Amino acid sequence: MAKSFDKSGTKFWKSLKDYYDDPEILKKKANEFNDGVTDDFDPGKLNGISRRKFIALLTASAAFTATSCTDYRDKGEIVPYNKRPEEILPGKPNYYASTCKGCELECGILIKTREGRPIKVDGNPEHPVSQGKICAKGQASILNLYDPDRLTEPVKGSMATTWKKADSEIIKLLKSAVDENGEIAIVSKIINSPSTLKAIEEFKTAYPTAKVYFYEYFGDDFKRKAWEKCYGTSALPSVKLNEADVILSLESDFLGREGNYIENARLYAERKDIMKGTDFNKLYVVEGGMSLTGMNADVRIRMKPEYQTEFLLSLINELVAGNHVPGAYRTGEILNTVGGFTLSGFAQKYSVDEKKLTELVKDLVDGKGKSIILAGNTMPEEVHVLSNLLNEMLGNTALYDYSSVHLKNTAPSSNEEMKQLVEKMSNGSVKVLIHFDSNPVYHLPKDLNYEENARKVPAVITLSEAPNETVSVSTYTLPLNNPLESWGDSIVRSNVITLQQPVIAPLFNTREKEAVLLTWASGDPEKYNFDIYHKFVQNNFKNGIYTKNKFAVDFDTFWYSALHDGFVEVNGEQSPPNFNISAVTGISPSVKEGISVHLQPNYYLGDGKFSNNGWLQEIPHPVTKVAWDNFAAMSLATAEKLGVTFNDVVKVSVNGSEVELPVMMQPGMADDLIVVEGGYGRKNSGEVAQDVGFNINTLIVTATASPFVLQAANVSKTGKTYKLVSTQEHNFLVDPSLREFHKIRKIIFEGTLEEYEKDPKFLKEEEKVLKGITREHEYPGLKWGMAIDLNKCISCGICVASCNVENNIPVVGKDQVEVGREMQWMRIDRYYSGEPEDPQVSNQPMLCQHCDNAPCENVCPVNATNHSPDGINQMVYNRCVGTRYCSNNCPYKVRRFNFFDFRDHFADAYYQNDITALAHNPEVTVRSRGVMEKCTFCIQRIMEAREDAIREGRELKGTDVQTACQQACPSNAIIFGDINDPDSEVSKYRNHDIGYHVLEELYVKPNITYMAKLRNTRSEDV
Amino acid sequence: MSSIDYTQELPVIEGRPTLKEINELIAKPLDQKPDKKFYIALSITLTMLLAGAIALGFTFYYGVGLWGNNNPVGWGFPIVNFVFWVGIGHAGTLISAILFLFRQKWRNGIARFAEGMTIFAVMTAGLFPLIHVGRPWLAGYLIPYPNQHSLWVDFNSPLLWDVFAVSTYFTVSFIFWYVGLIPDFASLRDRAVGKVKKTIYSIFSLGWRHSNRHWSHYEMVYLVLAGFATPLVLSVHTIVSFDFAVSILPGWHATIFPPYFVAGAVFSGFAMVQNVLIFIRKIFNYEHIITLDTLEKMNKIIILTGSMVGYAYAMEFFTAWYSGVQPEQFTFINRAFGPYAWAYWIMVSCNVIFPQLFWIRKIRRSIPVMFVIAVLVNVGMWFERFVITVTSLHRDFLPSSWAYFKPTVVDVAILIGSFGFFFTWILLFTKSLPVVSIAEIKAVNEGAQPSHGEH
Repeated sequence: MAKSFDKSGTKFWKSLKDYYDDPEILKKKANEFNDGVTDDFDPGKLNGISRRKFIALLTASAAFTATSCTDYRDKGEIVPYNKRPEEILPGKPNYYASTCKGCELECGILIKTREGRPIKVDGNPEHPVSQGKICAKGQASILNLYDPDRLTEPVKGSMATTWKKADSEIIKLLKSAVDENGEIAIVSKIINSPSTLKAIEEFKTAYPTAKVYFYEYFGDDFKRKAWEKCYGTSALPSVKLNEADVILSLESDFLGREGNYIENARLYAERKDIMKGTDFNKLYVVEGGMSLTGMNADVRIRMKPEYQTEFLLSLINELVAGNHVPGAYRTGEILNTVGGFTLSGFAQKYSVDEKKLTELVKDLVDGKGKSIILAGNTMPEEVHVLSNLLNEMLGNTALYDYSSVHLKNTAPSSNEEMKQLVEKMSNGSVKVLIHFDSNPVYHLPKDLNYEENARKVPAVITLSEAPNETVSVSTYTLPLNNPLESWGDSIVRSNVITLQQPVIAPLFNTREKEAVLLTWASGDPEKYNFDIYHKFVQNNFKNGIYTKNKFAVDFDTFWYSALHDGFVEVNGEQSPPNFNISAVTGISPSVKEGISVHLQPNYYLGDGKFSNNGWLQEIPHPVTKVAWDNFAAMSLATAEKLGVTFNDVVKVSVNGSEVELPVMMQPGMADDLIVVEGGYGRKNSGEVAQDVGFNINTLIVTATASPFVLQAANVSKTGKTYKLVSTQEHNFLVDPSLREFHKIRKIIFEGTLEEYEKDPKFLKEEEKVLKGITREHEYPGLKWGMAIDLNKCISCGICVASCNVENNIPVVGKDQVEVGREMQWMRIDRYYSGEPEDPQVSNQPMLCQHCDNAPCENVCPVNATNHSPDGINQMVYNRCVGTRYCSNNCPYKVRRFNFFDFRDHFADAYYQNDITALAHNPEVTVRSRGVMEKCTFCIQRIMEAREDAIREGRELKGTDVQTACQQACPSNAIIFGDINDPDSEVSKYRNHDIGYHVLEELYVKPNITYMAKLRNTRSEDV
Repeated sequence: MSSIDYTQELPVIEGRPTLKEINELIAKPLDQKPDKKFYIALSITLTMLLAGAIALGFTFYYGVGLWGNNNPVGWGFPIVNFVFWVGIGHAGTLISAILFLFRQKWRNGIARFAEGMTIFAVMTAGLFPLIHVGRPWLAGYLIPYPNQHSLWVDFNSPLLWDVFAVSTYFTVSFIFWYVGLIPDFASLRDRAVGKVKKTIYSIFSLGWRHSNRHWSHYEMVYLVLAGFATPLVLSVHTIVSFDFAVSILPGWHATIFPPYFVAGAVFSGFAMVQNVLIFIRKIFNYEHIITLDTLEKMNKIIILTGSMVGYAYAMEFFTAWYSGVQPEQFTFINRAFGPYAWAYWIMVSCNVIFPQLFWIRKIRRSIPVMFVIAVLVNVGMWFERFVITVTSLHRDFLPSSWAYFKPTVVDVAILIGSFGFFFTWILLFTKSLPVVSIAEIKAVNEGAQPSHGEH
């Protein structure tokens, strides 16, 4: 076919060469395809684009286009590292030791980071005080770092500005204030960091008219003042709680929110350890409200808080009169003070169970030198003085540990100083007001009129991490680093100095608060650099601790090892001071008629700093199980007297201010008492905290002996209602027939220590052998199981917080908690028994029981939940279609269903953003809508341990894995491991006489063993 | 009373209509254009359907969180509705297959309609398992099909048995219904005047020529299919009851469930058939075909099954007491006296007390009264499923996880939508197919069969 013709025979040609039948063209025509084109396709050989290559590329790009189409699971791009950053191995976490700055306890923490972002905070296991444990706030503080409501830019008025501009304007203001001899007032919370204090000193040197005011919200000021009165120092010794046979708590929630409660829980639980024998301590709690510590009491005496003084006086008199105390305490001063108060008289006067009081006296006398009396932080000074005296009299000072003393580097300013400050603000002598990471508008007593007067100050500068009430009165609002982005140090205990180091670069245009002060102190905005405070801390450390303690290594080595450990241990031994008996002179009770209001801090929100943290808002209150609100807790009789019930709103007016609060009827409370918790009712605080609960700070005034116990309050019904949501129904109160269900149904096993000592098998009177009718599955090799010791568990809820963080548990919001859709994989069930006036409380952490015969598994139509060979009830999210049948068939109701895409659902997708997504644990799937989920025994940790074991060529052992709840449990009540290994700890619990399974008779064969609670009470009062 | 001659079989069809009359009467609704009343009815059902569709749209968009379901109560309205509609779907096959095998001639007048109702009810019921899951777009996972994950469904799960049971029931019922329709299609074809109609009827009548051979094959097939369908009537609701009975939940875990559910299903199915037929016979002038005697017979079945259901309620209490298991006992006390006592007593009064009025002949034969009672039966039966599903779940083993279930607007809208869906099909059915079997009516017409009676 040399030429082309059409039908008519016309010859067509494409070029002249073609027309003349050029041989080259002919050759080409003979060979239809170019060389190589028809050979075996090898893209390497081809240069230029051939047809085949084109098609290959086309197909490939089509495939790429198709596969790169995003769906709802795809959020953003994943870009691998081009160059591996130093110390970062993708998929492997790094850990950094640091200091938690969530509250004034300043615990040692270990921060887990993945690919450069912090994802989990736990206690520093090597820290002598923390010992690997941290509170719920510390656990959840990761969410504060990634909070989308954080302040991101410096703001002047309502306009964004730059740091440089703000700094130079502020420096000018400060200088002119000094020139005019006007005061520069710095208002700060208590500071425990020597470097921060030093930075303030430098600032004060540069601006001599500066004055610092410190305040604290629900601090231990009364305790320290009393201590000072008794011992001449405000440094409180720590208490060897693990050596106490008898603990008497007077309104002291030492397991829940007072002192270093994490340490307390550990020491307390050491003496509730059945594995170590029956040498249990005995906890007496005398309190008005029902606190976490009160729930754990062996003997609980309910009494209004203002009776404590009289109670102590009577108790002391009883001991003095009974000749139970050394002669030195039977002197005139004491006799004068306590004379005339008798316990029986007291019991009669306030209708307190006298039998319990007699028992208490007996135990205190028997336990001389091995008992301890703890008075609560909200108690007035005199109660502390008397309890100090009591400890002295009984020789309990032997339990004081002066080698690790609770220090406080700054004392809160007195009421007078605060009043002066406000007056100076009002009369114009304060020129510049600096809020140094503090929120006085929200915190300070209302009769100071702080907010109103702050508006009169010409320049108000607020340094804050997140928006708050004080920001709204500020001229300048300067955003601060989160503690996880900051350098720092802290001394709260005489024997440990902890260091704080940043684990992520600032996410926003923020600075460390000390760096801001230092820049101002230098007088030149250009002096700022990101390292300024880091160098400052380092220098301070060098000149302070390093020089003082004469360490044998060079400073760099010392610094880096200290940074690595997160702390330095020093000798903090202090000599025990002498007790000054005259401190007790002139103490007399002052009790007014009527209803009292007892203000207390919240368990999870702290001073309100954590109010914008959804995880913490959603952890149910340890006693009432109410989430997302505070409330007026009152006894049933009080509610009846006021004619109110659950969710009715009452108006509480006392000291000239009033607040409206919803009612929560709380069993076990003293009558004529209302207990309210703070930290709620925030304004201008971010999406989560905004208007959640009620601000009770309006009730705090400077005038009273204790601003926390307000007597003679006027409480009236308003006729309004307000819906409180709780994760447990209040059936106990409503229907007496339901009261003993947890015992009848064999959910809770309880007894007394005495019964156990008589017959360790007393709980299992009839040895029953349950038999299945089907062939049982074999689990050779390792099999995971857990034990929870209900004697050690104090129901603090820290496990819940830890689980939330570890397993990416979403925040669902109040509306969803109301309809029972909270997502926490772990919950603490609380049961009351006995009479509502004086109930016994039983708590039980409840999570997936990983049953061998799991009833959830066989009902899933798509096999989305099944059993692993090592005994774990697994959940395959990808396969789950969401029939919810598994949840229906779960007798423990521990499964959680994603009714919505909860990340999208809560508060207009508040947590659905790039920043908060960084908080997710990358090892745990973020579950989408319509999927069932539940506790996995931290399968990601098991897999990691298994990979390590495989890599190292060894067998995986049960002790290689710690679940998140176990790791966080401050009282070490959770034990996890291999139940097939007879020598493992968990096996010992499993086979223990008081070990039991919940709802054993269903024969679902759960793998969580609970240790029955043994109450340390005498049989006559059982 | 005295006028009844028990030696004489009562005529099923009254008035001895001619074959032509029967043809014309039954085909009449198909020949006429729909009237205003039809459009009004249709617009009501479509509005209901639309409400459900909108609610469903929101559910698909936002998630099943729009319903009242919560943590202990994993199943709420959709499962209640599912069981309710499957129950409604029971009467049809019972009437057409079981009563056919028992040679109950009176069933001929109502079988076609009951069967149609069965199909629509099962279609309605079938929607719920699909929409109630959290991720409906993955509902295909419930079907065993070979896939690259090598994942198979879990044959242990009653929900899977449900899938098979309901789909089998639907398929068989549908075929049975269609086979029964073939001679009627042929009759309609023969009298159709329009070309389009004639073509359609021709196709569906599959070349039926009323020949002797056709009839003899047809009778055989119909008999075999009736035999097929009979066990299904019992199996579907048995298996639906397994959804509950196989679980370990107190109040669900009960051996009495299969017969109890089947009886309940027949009970509600008959009530629904009776309800709708009262309208049909009036509107289409079928009073002599669907006679008062027929309705009375249905009422007798209602009283029978209602009593069985009542017995089951009582027996459940006995079993719980006799078991000695506290959670089991509490579940029943809680049903009767707990937070959902109102639902329980609605159920008991509607299902056990009111149907007992049918012992009285006058009531049994009074159309308005029987209509009201049957409506109440269906209300009661819906509440029965609600009581079983919700009250058992809301207070199970651990008192710590107890919670109250409150339905939402979306729940109610979907329930309304399901009625809209069902009645829309019913309405379309009345205008497109003969609601009474022409052929079968002719067979039971007086004198149609040789008899030994007087001629």
